Amino acid sequence: MATNVILARMGEVTLKGLNRGRFEAQLMNNLRYRLRNYGKMSIFQSQSRIWIEAKEEGNPYFETEESARELMTAVTQVFGIVSVSLACKFNGDINDIDRTAADYVKNLLNGNPDYKTFKVECKRGNKKFPMNSPMICEEVGAYILEHFEGLSVDVHNPDFVLMVEVRDDNYVYAGKMMGHRGLPVGTAGKGMLLLSGGIDSPVAGYMMASRGMPIDAVYFHSYPYTSEQAKQKVVDLAKIVSRFSGRMNLYIVDFTKIQLDMVKNSPHDMLTIVMRRVMLQIAEQIAKKNDCKCLITGESLGQVASQTLEAIAITNEVVDMPILRPLIGMDKEATVRISRDIGAFETSILPYEDCCTIFVAKHPKTHPKHVDIEEAEKNLDIEAMVKQGVEENLEVIKI
Amino acid sequence: MIYFDNSATTRPCEEVIRVINDDLTGDMWGNPGSLHKLGMNSAKAYEQALADIASCLKCSASELIFTSCGTESANTAIEGFLKANPRAGNTVISTRTEHKCTLETLNLLEKEGYTVKYVKVGRDGKPDLDELRSLIDEDTALLCFTHVNNETGSILPLEQIINIRKELCPKAVIYLDCVQSLGKLPINLKSMGIDMASFSGHKVHGIKGVGLLYIRNGIKVNPLIIGGGQQNGMRSGTQSLPLAASMAVAVKEAEKARGQAYEEVSKINSYLRTELASRGATVNSPDDALPFVLNVAFRNFQSETMLHCLEMYDIFISTVSACSSKSKKTSYVLENMGIERSISANSVRLSFSRYNTMEEAEAFVKAIDEIYNLYEVKVR
Repeated sequence: MATNVILARMGEVTLKGLNRGRFEAQLMNNLRYRLRNYGKMSIFQSQSRIWIEAKEEGNPYFETEESARELMTAVTQVFGIVSVSLACKFNGDINDIDRTAADYVKNLLNGNPDYKTFKVECKRGNKKFPMNSPMICEEVGAYILEHFEGLSVDVHNPDFVLMVEVRDDNYVYAGKMMGHRGLPVGTAGKGMLLLSGGIDSPVAGYMMASRGMPIDAVYFHSYPYTSEQAKQKVVDLAKIVSRFSGRMNLYIVDFTKIQLDMVKNSPHDMLTIVMRRVMLQIAEQIAKKNDCKCLITGESLGQVASQTLEAIAITNEVVDMPILRPLIGMDKEATVRISRDIGAFETSILPYEDCCTIFVAKHPKTHPKHVDIEEAEKNLDIEAMVKQGVEENLEVIKI
Repeated sequence: MIYFDNSATTRPCEEVIRVINDDLTGDMWGNPGSLHKLGMNSAKAYEQALADIASCLKCSASELIFTSCGTESANTAIEGFLKANPRAGNTVISTRTEHKCTLETLNLLEKEGYTVKYVKVGRDGKPDLDELRSLIDEDTALLCFTHVNNETGSILPLEQIINIRKELCPKAVIYLDCVQSLGKLPINLKSMGIDMASFSGHKVHGIKGVGLLYIRNGIKVNPLIIGGGQQNGMRSGTQSLPLAASMAVAVKEAEKARGQAYEEVSKINSYLRTELASRGATVNSPDDALPFVLNVAFRNFQSETMLHCLEMYDIFISTVSACSSKSKKTSYVLENMGIERSISANSVRLSFSRYNTMEEAEAFVKAIDEIYNLYEVKVR
């Protein structure tokens, strides 16, 4: 009897030398965690590929190509996976291979009626199988040609490649879904993402996670200037990022009093810079307490007044941790493309007030100097503000 | 709790809850369409509900259809009339300050090839009657207006519009959105001179899920929902006695309380106008607006911020403008009235009902003072 299984291919991980085992083990762990809600399944590695099979009969995610798509999408979202295919697993001799391949092609053509050309490729792991790979290709190709009138062979540029693998069991499959590549989350140290409700910061989190970094996030909430909906939106964005990055703690800082204090006691053209400096310090404190080794922001050079090089330099100097800015050299359009790709865009553009907008001066300083910031902060008790942010009403949401 | 968001929805009144409870728990759950006794009892009560409403609104019961909401009523009236009367003309006249249920229907009809002409509204929210005169022609099939605007309380100069129609195109049919005027202004469907009107239960202390559509006898309208032919074929689907009865009770109670409510709410409105204006707020509602709605802009507070500030005091109002960092969307009603962006971005709507009191208005003003003390942000 033929059953559906999922075949996932690893990318960069396989290039690792002595650490390869560690990377692969992490990837397998992450896969198991990501797929925990899709029913019992066995996930195992064989010859640098990962096979995913249902443990119990009737798991709907394995039944049809349509229903497998959701599960396969989840697999593609695990960093380290390069591509995913739905394969048909069965045992038997060459006659069984012929028949199953024909069934598979029939299904495939139903979904893709414009397919006209194909070729067969074969991998034979089971060297006891009486035919070698070229013979199997020839045989299966001939069988398909015989049974499907509209199809012809094109070995250079086929519409689909029918893969046949002969191992302990046999497999046929065609086509693949691309993965998000990268390195398995957990192979690098943890980072603290400054998450707002906008487009950039979720993308920044996604990008760092793609290099193996687990992520926690911090959000600055200014009720009543920002609403519960705005907070919910950030929670939703965190959930979207966590599809890729795995478990995440979202820290919600009660920022209202701190912000009002700033508005009252510092010049408004420096407000955003002062605010960002305090935010970074609060984020750093929370990061340290939670074993994060760096901060991550969605800053992109020159995008807004607070993201000029001068402004970045001045905000940067209040923390010791490295601040990673994966979007720093990226065009907005490229960021939006990733945002759409990871499914965050529609949530990011929901129209709720976020704390940056209400407290923004009409003409903020774009090239702040040291004297400016000294002047701006001279009437503020920054240390107390940071302490307040870290200690008062800090909420933690497990995503 | 102080609830000043009655144009969004209202708390169901006790009488409404009682009648629904009675109808649901007693032996009144039969299908009004059934031939047996159980069904007949429901049918009788249902007919009675219809008759009660008809007598409140001064029309005949056969001119009323129960719908699921004001939106369904509007959709049915506008689309159903045009589709049923292809020779009545191809043009609809309306304003851009109608409720979305009208505007979206008109958009759709425009795509289907109908001509929709929009009359400008003035700073008082009222349509420019001279422009209306110039737009009406032989091809005009339908005029769509709102009796009381839901965002500003602006009252339509209905009599003048009726006269213009009479003078320039008597065959044109008038549809009036009465969702916000029911229970607040006198509604006499026989003498008002309109042909179709929509109403909603939950805006008059009834419940969500029931609306009404008035279609004057002799006006042909195609149904939106077809099937078993209930309600004279105008709205198929098993009639719901609890919903019908709740609507009847809500309308009756609203009508009973109308005079006094108007008086009380007028006092609240003029008190708030004076107090808020003296604190630098801008009143957007015209002077002669329905007192049940007060649209006002608070200096230095964006709409949503003020809403959340008041929420902390357990005071509920509404904002019609959703602001975001990238796209400042403000109320299209205020925009069409020519109100500046800086004002409309700070505008909120207070809307009252017969259950609001002067004490609440005073507490509201006190809360505003505190909010200004604690939360006013003036970023230059």
